[in-house]
Amino acid sequence: MADRLECRLYLLVIIALAATAAAGLIVDGPQKTFSDFILLQTSGARLINDFTVTGIGGAFLNAASVACIGLLLVRFSDVRLGGPTLAAVFTMWGFGFFGKSPVNILPIIAGVWIVSRMVGKSLGSYSLVALFGTALGPVVTYVMFEMPISPAIAIPLGVACGILVGMLLPAIASALLQFHQGYNLYNIGFACGFLGLFLSSLLEATGTSRPLGLVWNTTPHPLLQAVIPALSFLLIGAGFLVCKKSPKDIVEEVLQLQKLSGRLPTDMFDIANTASPLINMGALGLAAWLFVVLVGGPFNGPVLGAMLTVMGFGAFGKTLRNTWPIVAGVCLAAWLFGKQLSAPGPLLASLFSTTLAPIAGRFGIKAGMVAGALHLLLVETTAQWHGGLDLYNNGFAGGLTATLVIIVMHWFQNNRTKEDFEQ
Amino acid sequence: MKRQELLNRLIGEVSNFLLEENPLRLVISLHQEQDGAHLSFMDDRMRSDEELDRIRTALNPKHIRPELADYYGALAGHDTSWEARLKLIGWQIKGATVANNDSGTQIDLWLGGDSFRPEDFTVGQRCEGRS
Repeated sequence: MADRLECRLYLLVIIALAATAAAGLIVDGPQKTFSDFILLQTSGARLINDFTVTGIGGAFLNAASVACIGLLLVRFSDVRLGGPTLAAVFTMWGFGFFGKSPVNILPIIAGVWIVSRMVGKSLGSYSLVALFGTALGPVVTYVMFEMPISPAIAIPLGVACGILVGMLLPAIASALLQFHQGYNLYNIGFACGFLGLFLSSLLEATGTSRPLGLVWNTTPHPLLQAVIPALSFLLIGAGFLVCKKSPKDIVEEVLQLQKLSGRLPTDMFDIANTASPLINMGALGLAAWLFVVLVGGPFNGPVLGAMLTVMGFGAFGKTLRNTWPIVAGVCLAAWLFGKQLSAPGPLLASLFSTTLAPIAGRFGIKAGMVAGALHLLLVETTAQWHGGLDLYNNGFAGGLTATLVIIVMHWFQNNRTKEDFEQ
Repeated sequence: MKRQELLNRLIGEVSNFLLEENPLRLVISLHQEQDGAHLSFMDDRMRSDEELDRIRTALNPKHIRPELADYYGALAGHDTSWEARLKLIGWQIKGATVANNDSGTQIDLWLGGDSFRPEDFTVGQRCEGRS
């Protein structure tokens, strides 16, 4: 049974998703929107495939549909709509603009459900794996529509591959958490990248792999530019409206949230009242939007996806305080190595690198900047490793970066002679 | 094996928490029954009421969180280099009691399957009788 907080969150998300779908329908008209939506279901989805190039209306309807599936999964698997699940729904919403579609996420969710029944658990126990695990959606559409086999074989094979992937993810995701000890917020991106290495190698071995492409919308559109500020103000406004405390007290609570390290799992709704996590999400959205404006990046599907993910994790570990050092590290590395921050790779890396926010939150600004810089160097090569099959490529690179940082710090922490027994 | 892994996690995380205060004495006691178990930790450090409240809150979360218990619960008991996080185990147990006793702090964890009923648990009765 949902409590008052949950009901308000559901209402807020439903309004935002309905507005997204409606905006799509208004911009392109129902006919074009629906035909583009259908086209997206049968398109390749590997990195980087900006769905707004096919059609803005279709991409908006697709993103709203993907997020709706996430929200329904949360509702019917009897888990709370709180920090982690809200982060997952926002992430799915964002990736509905570049890679996820109802067709390619449902088999993965089915796979997680099957394995949860096999081990005698409820889907709720693995709901986060099911939601975030849809990052491997491109595997399904790749097998279905991009491999040179007849559709009669390719479609069931794609569904079977998706189910198999879903069945493997709970085991991998739990095990890989131990590597970075919760310092990489997109842990399932790490797990999906790990699994993606094997899938990509399998494609290579069977001679069915294809080179990565880049579909990147650079045409400005007012709707693409307005989405994030509008949503951010909606969240901030809702934050102030739902709380009976004075604005001063609410601001103080938001400042208290900034002190959290953000290490997994930090459900902001467990720590503070409803208002402050919502305001934190809105503030992160505005900061990300401002960053894109400042570096002169385009507002397109992948950039919207990145900003929505940052906002979602504003309820599950990210704050302004623990994210800025990571982004500063990425900017510094981009400057040192002569990379343009408005280019697709560095731009997405600067937004998604905030997966490493807990490192800055726990170990400080310098550690955060080092992690951010290392992340940029790594993330530009990791997409090739898994053949673009893992949509959370930054989660994969972030997992590797966090693992390196944490094992080195762990070693030094455990080898301080002062704390040893006397010889 | 599943039960053994869970117990290992819980023992690891709580003992990590208690060792942060560098106690001179730490006793861990386990009693298992068919559908549940009782884990008791006793050290020689007295804690303030605020500290006890903080521990109690972390170990007795307001809501059941299966999505966090099964997935992130795996983090419990593994990281002993930095501060312990009792919240990780709060989602995985049926309940906990925390109090100062004559010589230090005692933390009792109660865990069990779906059919677990603390009122039928004999160790619980014995503990209540003793105090």
